[in-house]
Amino acid sequence: MKRTITLALAVLMLLPVAFAQGVPEGFGDGGKDVELSFFTGKVETIDVIDGIMDDFNALGNGITIEQEYQNDASNIIKIKFASGEVPDIMTTYEQEYVDQRQYLDLSDMNQWWDRLVPSMKDSCTDVNSGKQFRVCTNMTMAGFFYNKEIFDSLGLVPATNWTDFVKNLEAIKEAYPEIDPWFIFGSEAWSLGHLIEFIPHGYLKAKYGALETKKAMLANDKEVLGFGEPDGAMAAFARGLLEVQQKGLINSDVLTATSDNCIEAFVKGEAAMFSNGMWCLSSILAKDPSMADKIGFAPYPSMMEDGVPVVLVAEDSGYSISASSANQQQAIEFLDYLFSPDNQKRYSEALGSPSAFTDVDAAWAPQSVVDGVNEAVASAANIGYTNEKPAGFTGDDAGRMVQDLLAGRYTAEEFAKAYESAWDAGF
Amino acid sequence: MDVKHKDFVQFLSVPALCLYLVFFVYPLIQGVGMSFTDWDGMGRAAFVGFDNYAAFFSDDRAMNDIRTTIIFAIASATLLNLVGLAYALLMDRRFPLRGLVRVIIYLPAIISPLIMGYIWYFLLQPQRGFLYHALMQLGLPDFVGNWVLSYPKSLAVLVAVNVWQFAGMTMIIYLAGLQSISCDLIDAARIDGAGSTQIFFHIKLPLLVPAIRINVVTNIIGSLSVFDIIMSLTQGGPGYSTESLSIYIMRMCYGNKTGYSTAVAMMLFLIILIPVLVSLRLTQSKD
Repeated sequence: MKRTITLALAVLMLLPVAFAQGVPEGFGDGGKDVELSFFTGKVETIDVIDGIMDDFNALGNGITIEQEYQNDASNIIKIKFASGEVPDIMTTYEQEYVDQRQYLDLSDMNQWWDRLVPSMKDSCTDVNSGKQFRVCTNMTMAGFFYNKEIFDSLGLVPATNWTDFVKNLEAIKEAYPEIDPWFIFGSEAWSLGHLIEFIPHGYLKAKYGALETKKAMLANDKEVLGFGEPDGAMAAFARGLLEVQQKGLINSDVLTATSDNCIEAFVKGEAAMFSNGMWCLSSILAKDPSMADKIGFAPYPSMMEDGVPVVLVAEDSGYSISASSANQQQAIEFLDYLFSPDNQKRYSEALGSPSAFTDVDAAWAPQSVVDGVNEAVASAANIGYTNEKPAGFTGDDAGRMVQDLLAGRYTAEEFAKAYESAWDAGF
Repeated sequence: MDVKHKDFVQFLSVPALCLYLVFFVYPLIQGVGMSFTDWDGMGRAAFVGFDNYAAFFSDDRAMNDIRTTIIFAIASATLLNLVGLAYALLMDRRFPLRGLVRVIIYLPAIISPLIMGYIWYFLLQPQRGFLYHALMQLGLPDFVGNWVLSYPKSLAVLVAVNVWQFAGMTMIIYLAGLQSISCDLIDAARIDGAGSTQIFFHIKLPLLVPAIRINVVTNIIGSLSVFDIIMSLTQGGPGYSTESLSIYIMRMCYGNKTGYSTAVAMMLFLIILIPVLVSLRLTQSKD
């Protein structure tokens, strides 16, 4: 008896292995609905997307959709692609997958493009093919958030060049020694990578034009990029960062401070300014709604003599459909629903970001903030975000190099050379 | 045991063997094959011979990670055994609330290393952490200070947190070893005039060799493949200064260098295997 029971248990243990090769096709396919999968890494839109999906699923049109959120979405999607479990719709977008034609060509979706701000359509256009493989629903801006009360009390205005920028920081430090004039949350490498993206890369995009710069980046055209030049934009950026660090104009815990620390310091009046994108607005206002009247927004000052101030105006919330999806028509049907003006109003207000659709009128931020942002965008060169970077050298890698710079491991010139080497190696 | 019964017993090991083949041997063979390709995790893989292994030895970041991993492992394994043994010797004595103290020492080991890392990060965060301020108030600014800026200090913090968390686990194994030593042996030694130090070095320590073997081997394996604590405390930074080889493998794998990362994983396998074999050999000879 004991033997029989043990044998039965052994066979039971083997069953999962025997069936590990997969369930036969059609098994368990009892329903008639098409089930769409939606993959996102945007934590701030989970609830609003869930709400829109519930409404869509309730329509009873034979399509149901479910959202999957992953914190590390840009890496998880690689596993999904590698394992052949690609979601029907996704918000992650990688140049390498564009080159491999893993996304559905959406160039003919004029029902969407005709409603989109033209510059946003340009931002969604693949430089190599001139086609669109994603649609963005929103715009985002990045620049310097500053405390208007502190600036007004000292009669300061946002600087347009580096010299004036440092003078502003020094004036704040002198008047309010307990305040960090510029708060950098450097424990999060991506934020330092963004500084590179917005300041030295921003200089190039403003000088040569976004398209030309992107082409130069794809071709690693050293004549245009000049990353390793001792008098180039990258060395100037490193020199500037070291200068403000040595003068004590940035927080002393720059390498361990987090974005939460930054928001808290800003809300408490312990930090006068910081660099970030519009996505941080909701966190500031959630901590202290009265900050709405104190938040100023300014472009990045130029660090180069022949440069101009720049502000990031980039596409946000891009949606792509998998080229291998068996449910492409149903995916388009869902996106039609998601992109309707009513749903986009809901979405923009939840995201705290202006809509990229011209027919959507959303109150995405308090009016004083909206006015400040509009003024900054109008006063500076608008640069887009660069996806045209070597796959082996991510923004996070670049940010880690800035960490090394701030930890004293590079001089400005060494940093520029090391950046160029890392960029080349990434190719 | 008759032959029929022996066959049946061997047959019962088949499920475990199947699982071992599917989840260990098969991935290992696949991994070895993959390490000779330039696979990026998506496209077609091309055979590149030993290029990945050659690249590994000329990769400055990988060499730095090996240095960090080995220093971390040597320091951790040594301290874990010393502290664990010291705890075990203390806990082997009778005193009030002994059970509670044992639980308190062991408790950190049941918490995820990732969570433990975050807890310590918030305690030690320069300018903001509670312990950071407490040390400042005690007039010990140099004791921890801005530890992230100093490579030896940040590595020391990582080792200290690891030892604090897992010393309880080492203690349990030593304690079990100590309690299996017959009281008659100790009593006989005392009657012969042996002092506590002599009893420890000539009776307890030799009889603890099996426990030492288990602890050394598991600590070496655990420390050389360290991932969680570093990810949560320093994320391998600033830059890549405190990055371990496991973190490097993960980052390379996600960074479109799957073939190369597999080759690095094979190297880590060898790096772990060598000290484990040496320590097994040494402790076997002591048996």
